[in-house]
Amino acid sequence: MSVIAKQASNLTLSQKFSRLARRLREPEWRRYGGLLLGGKAIGIGLVLLIITVVSGLFFTHVYAQTAAPEVKAADVINPINTVWTLIAAFLVFGMQVGFTMLEAGFCRSRETVNVLVECVVDTCLCGILFYAVGFAFMFSHGNGFIGYHWFFLQGAPATYETTGVAFLAVWIFQFAFADTCSTITSGAMIGRTGFVGDLLYSFCVTGFIYPIIGHWAWGPDGWLATMGSAGNVFPSLGMGFHDFAGSTVVHTIGGFIALAGAIVLGPRLGRKFKRDGGGPMLPHDLTIAVSGGLVLWFGWYGFNPGSTLSAMDFEGIGRVATNTTLAACAAGLSSIIYGYFRTKKWDASYTTNGFLAGLVAITCPCYWVSPTGSVLLGGIAGVLVILGVDLLEWLRIDDPIGAVPVHGMCGIWGTISLGLFACGRYGATGPLSPDNSAPLKGLFYGGGTQVLMAQIIGSAVVTVATFAVAMAVMLAVNATGTLRLPEDAELYGMDLHEHGISAYPEYVISALGAPGGMNQELPVAHAKASLATTKPLSHIAS
Amino acid sequence: MTKLEAIVQPNKFERVKEALIGLGVEGMTISEVRGHGRQKGHTETYRGREYGIDLLPKVKLELVLDDKLVDPAIDAIIKSAATGKIGDGKIFLYKVEEAIRIRSQERGAAAL
Repeated sequence: MSVIAKQASNLTLSQKFSRLARRLREPEWRRYGGLLLGGKAIGIGLVLLIITVVSGLFFTHVYAQTAAPEVKAADVINPINTVWTLIAAFLVFGMQVGFTMLEAGFCRSRETVNVLVECVVDTCLCGILFYAVGFAFMFSHGNGFIGYHWFFLQGAPATYETTGVAFLAVWIFQFAFADTCSTITSGAMIGRTGFVGDLLYSFCVTGFIYPIIGHWAWGPDGWLATMGSAGNVFPSLGMGFHDFAGSTVVHTIGGFIALAGAIVLGPRLGRKFKRDGGGPMLPHDLTIAVSGGLVLWFGWYGFNPGSTLSAMDFEGIGRVATNTTLAACAAGLSSIIYGYFRTKKWDASYTTNGFLAGLVAITCPCYWVSPTGSVLLGGIAGVLVILGVDLLEWLRIDDPIGAVPVHGMCGIWGTISLGLFACGRYGATGPLSPDNSAPLKGLFYGGGTQVLMAQIIGSAVVTVATFAVAMAVMLAVNATGTLRLPEDAELYGMDLHEHGISAYPEYVISALGAPGGMNQELPVAHAKASLATTKPLSHIAS
Repeated sequence: MTKLEAIVQPNKFERVKEALIGLGVEGMTISEVRGHGRQKGHTETYRGREYGIDLLPKVKLELVLDDKLVDPAIDAIIKSAATGKIGDGKIFLYKVEEAIRIRSQERGAAAL
């Protein structure tokens, strides 16, 4: 039989056709072929049936208009705003490339494949979860704490709320944001998180923690967003919580989940902290890391300006883009200069994390501050991030890429800075034009502490709630034994253990000065011989 | 004078180095190497295909020592590199005829 099969594989095309014609004439071959084709037809029929059932269940209502769009602008405005939102969404999605490069560059070569795979799989997982429950929890109507409509995007309107932007364009924009939050989290947990553990906590982060806490600030009826008005919490405050593009919602949440993860995991094997006479484990590719940082900067032009969801607010877009740039520039400079005064070196890692800190800080106030305010608050962020790195080092928390100082701490600073730097000229964006009837005015512009108080309350609530829930989730996942990689797997190399290959199998052997080696336990090939030749060391030297 | 060549596991290298410096060893030369001893490697899986890892990463230390330091150095390496498992590495000793410091042309133990 195998001989026949071997011959068959060597037949030419015309020979195969003549063989087919010969076989069609034989009843036994005809029966055999009919059986195969019949089976395949049944299989295809089943697949088509499943497709029909599933699409009836999940998809029919996506495009159904339950009500006319609330904004009836000229025919061209909603499409333009939708296109603008989509362009921004694609830019924000591009930040995944930046995060992947940044994390891969700042980690050791032995854990690089893990970073790559985690970033890809987290993105996929986030998309499915955000479709199933995330968007519903975060952006649908419900109560102040959670939304409970539009699960699996069912029963959704054609356009989202009063924005006039296509509902699913808003979905993909917000999916890209959720994905950012999830990737930030993995940054502080590089190098020792088991892959199953990563999947488990990512499921909780993107499916539940981020959407539910995010609903408080960004949901249509979130209690932080509606705070300060009659009938809601703290009515005497007279001011709601403002977070334009997510210093708090995306970055503080991501950063503090990362902090919880890093605390529960503990440091990577062999990591000695500064006050124990050690230092950071060195990054393996600064070219990739710094380039990744710049890709993130580029993506931020979708993150912040896109959050208007309106191209008609063209002054707002221009202002936000400029403020974003200036804060990043100021922070990149302040961090490298502050770093130089401390170490007498122009540090690549300081300035990269520095401009990222500036970007995180400007994310919340970008719409309401002036360009000068952006320079000032960005410059402060650049110094804060270095102090944050020091603090984590002192607390003996191993954060390989600095996710906690950059996103967690500078997210808090950016949120609070709105209460100081809001320049009192800009109110809210809108689908047709901005609405500046109720501008935000911060402390430094004579607006008193009203905005500042609202920002401090919002930031503190989100930070504490996130950290508490994240600690519980991380401890629960840790209790399953999947969060931290076993010690022998970490010594062997997590890339090889989890993914079967190292990132540079051709030319990097291992990372010196780190537990970079193989701790192999192999069967003894020549057990007898080894017993026979065991001998005490002879003294050649004597 | 004796040249000591030790092949150890990369994750033990830091401890070995600290132990040797603690003994008063003046200098050493390190290389990252790959090799195998009696164990002949194992397999990993990439894209569903198995591939062999038969040469495993090790760190090789080379030191030239004054004779009286040789035994303590051997003890220190064994103490800090041994796990009792297969793959701990090996130590080789060689007689050294002469050592010359290029800068000052000192010879013998003074050049170490």
